[in-house]
Amino acid sequence: MGSQAPTSDQLLELRNLTVDFGGVRAVNDLSLAIAPGELIGLIGPNGAGKTTVFNLITNDYQATSGEILLNGQSIRGLKPDRINRLGIGRTFQNIRLFPHMSAYENVELGLNSHPHYTMFEAFVRSPRAFRAEREARRRAHELLELVNLQDYANDRAGSLPYGLQRRLEIARALASDPKILLLDEPAAGTNEEESLALVQLIRQIHQTTGFAILIIEHHMAVVMDLCRDSRIYVLNLGSLLTFGSPAEIQSNPQVIKAYLGEKKDGRRRRRLS
Amino acid sequence: MKPANKLRKTVIGLVTAAAVAAGLGILVKIMGAGYFQNILILVGITLIATLGVAVLTGYTGLFTIGHAGFMAVGGYMAALLAKEAQVPFFYAVLGGGVFAGLTSFIIGYPAFRSRLRGDYFAIATLGFAEAIRLILNNVRQIGSITLGGAYGYMDLPTLDGSIWSWLPKGGWGPVIVVMAFALVIFFLTHAFVVSQWGKTCIAVGQDEVAAQMMGVNLMTTKMMALFISALYAGLAGGLMAFYYGYLTPGFFMITRSSDLLAGVVFGGMQSVIGPTITSAVLVAVPEGLRTFAEYRLIVYGLFFVVMMVFRPQGLMGYYRMDFSILGRLWRRREPAKAGGR
Repeated sequence: MGSQAPTSDQLLELRNLTVDFGGVRAVNDLSLAIAPGELIGLIGPNGAGKTTVFNLITNDYQATSGEILLNGQSIRGLKPDRINRLGIGRTFQNIRLFPHMSAYENVELGLNSHPHYTMFEAFVRSPRAFRAEREARRRAHELLELVNLQDYANDRAGSLPYGLQRRLEIARALASDPKILLLDEPAAGTNEEESLALVQLIRQIHQTTGFAILIIEHHMAVVMDLCRDSRIYVLNLGSLLTFGSPAEIQSNPQVIKAYLGEKKDGRRRRRLS
Repeated sequence: MKPANKLRKTVIGLVTAAAVAAGLGILVKIMGAGYFQNILILVGITLIATLGVAVLTGYTGLFTIGHAGFMAVGGYMAALLAKEAQVPFFYAVLGGGVFAGLTSFIIGYPAFRSRLRGDYFAIATLGFAEAIRLILNNVRQIGSITLGGAYGYMDLPTLDGSIWSWLPKGGWGPVIVVMAFALVIFFLTHAFVVSQWGKTCIAVGQDEVAAQMMGVNLMTTKMMALFISALYAGLAGGLMAFYYGYLTPGFFMITRSSDLLAGVVFGGMQSVIGPTITSAVLVAVPEGLRTFAEYRLIVYGLFFVVMMVFRPQGLMGYYRMDFSILGRLWRRREPAKAGGR
């Protein structure tokens, strides 16, 4: 696939994004574009800077240079909560649920991070507050059902098994009704069977909601399957190595070199799968 | 949880409450009503301030050792309003509370702007409280108003007697006023912490970064929690002014701040009922055993260590009060009639 000129009808666009941590250039001149409704993969060996890209988009880290555009508008430098409200939801590589809240409340927080009534009404429990709470409850249960966690609604989030916590994080991210969902290694630490179920789930979410999804993943099977109709971007040492369809990525010699290294005799060891 | 289970819990709660009431009744007989009334008033005042600290520290996760400062601000303001401007008691107390709440922005905005957290925020609040105390200690006179400095602000209107004529005469009037305040604050606080606003506080307390990424505005949430807690402290300070009839900066030493924090840490994080119980105990026990009072900080230290080792979440940490059983009993009555059983 040839190089794609970034155009303004993209949902999310990174232009020449660069970040330095001291003397280390963690992300170098990265450009990337996602159209509405696309499901895009972001892969790369350990330390390639994938999570850093997410942290730059949500402004957890400040970019050194470059632009981040959401619907053609620059969001670089905005506060993370503002960016969330503009339509970017995310999950975390190392799960960051609110451990002492129930699964249901975690999702509810995603819905109501900007409460739907005034602080005064919170104290006196006005009818409007009651209605807002009821509406939030209905919506939260819907989302829990979507990720198949309806039976765990009242369990403490911190007590859920690992795989379920990952799904709960997805539900919580969906709750803020994002235009684009950033999933950071949703299949990390799951076994073959669970990651298959996860592929199903993510595809189902993608189809029912129509959100764009940018997914970081180490399980090659997962990402190759999910992005079979779209593109995968490959990062290495902070720079974009290449991008293209899963088949192109799998047969790209540079990618194989980045992942597997090169043998002295120059023979490729095996196809990346 | 099954309704039957809940019902049992409620019954156990009621029986306990009855037992405590009976015990208190006996205590009144032994100790004499006046002494007992004093303790009740102090419990009520401390409770209000402690609930504020519960919102800030227990729910939002911001440790404070400076809420005596807000009590001082609220107390002096209420006293000024009542004595110099003849504002009625109730509005003077409210005014003092709101003023203390507004003062919290002075410390809150710069502290949260520069992302002070944990120990650093606690030290900032301590500095604020000490500054307030030292200012009050050294200001004797503002224009024609005699604040009295270290001698104290004297001759304030008092709670006994002349506030509201319909209150019972004798010592029980002030008790009713303070307890009514405390009860209202208690239920308001409960309503707040289960609300969407309260939950943003809990989320910030548990994981600031995640909360922000989920769209929670950290500045608004923290300022709100600090405002509420300072407001409560100010109300408590105002009640204190009118209970004693005078104020001295010595009331608002760091020990008072640490008493408030102790109530929350012992009572439990993210709990309203826990700090309520412990703050009552922490006031009543040293008052009852006057000779012991001097040593309470040593005992607190020991308690803190024991608590952190065996029950870091506090006595009733993460325990949610549930009043839904009342609603359900109410609702159950109607279908039962319709069913004709």
